[in-house]
Amino acid sequence: MSDSEFIVIRNVSRHFGRVRAVDQVSLAIAKGEFFGLLGSSGCGKTTLLRMLAGFESPTRGELYIDGQSVLAVPPYQRPVNMVFQNYAIFPHLNVAQNIAYGLRKDRLSKQQTRRKVDEVLELIKLEGYGQRGADELSGGQRQRVALARALIKKPKVLLLDEPLGALDKKLREQMQIELRQLQKDVGITFVFVTHDQEEALTMSDRIAVMSEGKVLEVGSPEQLYERPDTRFVADFLGTMNFFAGIIQNKTGSAVEISVPALGLLRSRHTTELPINASVWVAIRPENIRIGCDQPAHQNNSVRGKMGNAAYLGDRAHLYIDIENSDQRLLAAMQNVEGSASSAAQGSQNITLSWSDKSVILFAA
Amino acid sequence: MRISGRYARRQEGAGVTVAVDTAASDRMAIDMESGITPSKWQRRKTRFGFLGSYTVIYLGFIYLPVLLIPLFSLNDALYVAFPIRDFTLDWYREMFAHENMLAALKNSVKVGLSAAFISTVLGLLAAKAFTRYRIPGAAGLIGFLSIPLVIPLIILGIALLIVLSRSGIELSLFTITLGHVVYCLPFAMFILMSRLEGFDKSVEEASLDLGENAWMTFWRITFPITLPGIIASLLLTFTISFDEFLLAFFLAGDELTLPIYIWSQLRFPKKLPSVLALGTMILTATFIMVTAAELIRRRGTGISSPGIR
Repeated sequence: MSDSEFIVIRNVSRHFGRVRAVDQVSLAIAKGEFFGLLGSSGCGKTTLLRMLAGFESPTRGELYIDGQSVLAVPPYQRPVNMVFQNYAIFPHLNVAQNIAYGLRKDRLSKQQTRRKVDEVLELIKLEGYGQRGADELSGGQRQRVALARALIKKPKVLLLDEPLGALDKKLREQMQIELRQLQKDVGITFVFVTHDQEEALTMSDRIAVMSEGKVLEVGSPEQLYERPDTRFVADFLGTMNFFAGIIQNKTGSAVEISVPALGLLRSRHTTELPINASVWVAIRPENIRIGCDQPAHQNNSVRGKMGNAAYLGDRAHLYIDIENSDQRLLAAMQNVEGSASSAAQGSQNITLSWSDKSVILFAA
Repeated sequence: MRISGRYARRQEGAGVTVAVDTAASDRMAIDMESGITPSKWQRRKTRFGFLGSYTVIYLGFIYLPVLLIPLFSLNDALYVAFPIRDFTLDWYREMFAHENMLAALKNSVKVGLSAAFISTVLGLLAAKAFTRYRIPGAAGLIGFLSIPLVIPLIILGIALLIVLSRSGIELSLFTITLGHVVYCLPFAMFILMSRLEGFDKSVEEASLDLGENAWMTFWRITFPITLPGIIASLLLTFTISFDEFLLAFFLAGDELTLPIYIWSQLRFPKKLPSVLALGTMILTATFIMVTAAELIRRRGTGISSPGIR
């Protein structure tokens, strides 16, 4: 077993009646990694996490943690701990009792237990909260207690089910950073489930994007966002412009695609697809430059009229009606000193251009 | 104006739908009710006089006869009639002198405690099974278990009597207990099911996750959280068993329970006042127990509410 195969999920399926909640999933998660399972609800990510915890058993397949098969191991003997989506704080116990819950079998003295609890309380920045009742905590505090309760067991793997889902936006953003830092400090492998792509991008070392029970792609946030292999992942992460086209020409370092709406485009992304194959061309809104009279890139430019604009504060989303086409292009613009709103109200005729590096291709 | 002001405040309260404690659900009930225009609200208020007097008459009809029992248990006369001659505690003294009556009281307590304990334990197991596992045909099984609630007790009594006498089991306090367990089980099961449904299953999973097996999870998590429901169930089933007459009547051997004893004493007018004295004491005890059961059950629901989203 190498460190890069600390958790091995091999051909795991879980069927509920006829539904294949998890379908032939294989993954390897490295030791000390912060690993995200990302997908919309019902994609099987939570079922996969619960199989690692031992609350569900695979219909087929194998699961290994630290080289040991865990299929026959009940949840209370697995070297993993879980932070539940609603935190599952024990309502009849106070904070210290909640955190010390899993220590019963270690047969520690009262002082030892208290010292351990205090250490963990300090780690999660809740010093002095030991005697609080479970119902006297805010959402963020409950989340920290759930974390502490799991971390005090020193698990080999910490599983987190939508860990920040119940928190409001400000707190969520703060906790994203804190969780990341905490994971680095304790050095435990974290596997977390989320439907929030921003959360997955912020926290994960690597992400597995799931849909309909299958893992579509695994990679670092940069890989998945900037060079996705599938149209689904390109669409799921962030926003994306898609246009249908046909490959016209291929050279060693570039591909030329004819797109009815945009004309001839150049892409630096090589493809296995042959000439004349139909493809989807994808361009991220933030890679589109607006308003240059002289397009920066010879091939990749188009003229259009300003359509609707969505003002988002730090940036604006501008929908541009492409000249001689009924299609639209979405361009994102940073709002520097009010530049976005003046652009939205500005000239009717605009030139848009983008680099051949930002044109991504998918088989249609 | 005052009414519309109050109405407006109720409307504001409609936004509060977070907690699932009783207070909030009461509030929500009121809010739903107030989904009417202020003028309708006003019109409804004028009808309150009729509804109010109806309520008073209704409650009086239920409780005045019951209140007569303690009153006449203190009356210094053999016959239950006004005017009251004088107040006396003689009947209470006499009551404690009746050995048969005390024996019957003891029997009833024995049967009540056993029936309450057995039906609560069985009810807890059934409730846990129904709320925690996927059981095929669970709805049908629940209905089947609650049949004793809907079939007439006299039929149930005869049926049990036939089965027991055919199988050669001698009638005794044990057979009464058996009958009472059958009758009390659905009460216990429903109280405990609502309690078990009221708290999040993931706390049990969290306990498994933190290293406790199913048995320890039950003792450290499920039992303490369910405890208010268990106590409520014990008190209620004891009360039901304690004053149950029909089943006990059919299934009794030589030893009588209190309701049967009281019924048998009604033939002797001289015994009536001491029966009233006994009745007063039972009434008081029952009232205290049922109130306690309800208070514990209600206070208990408050504990679990933070766990509910």
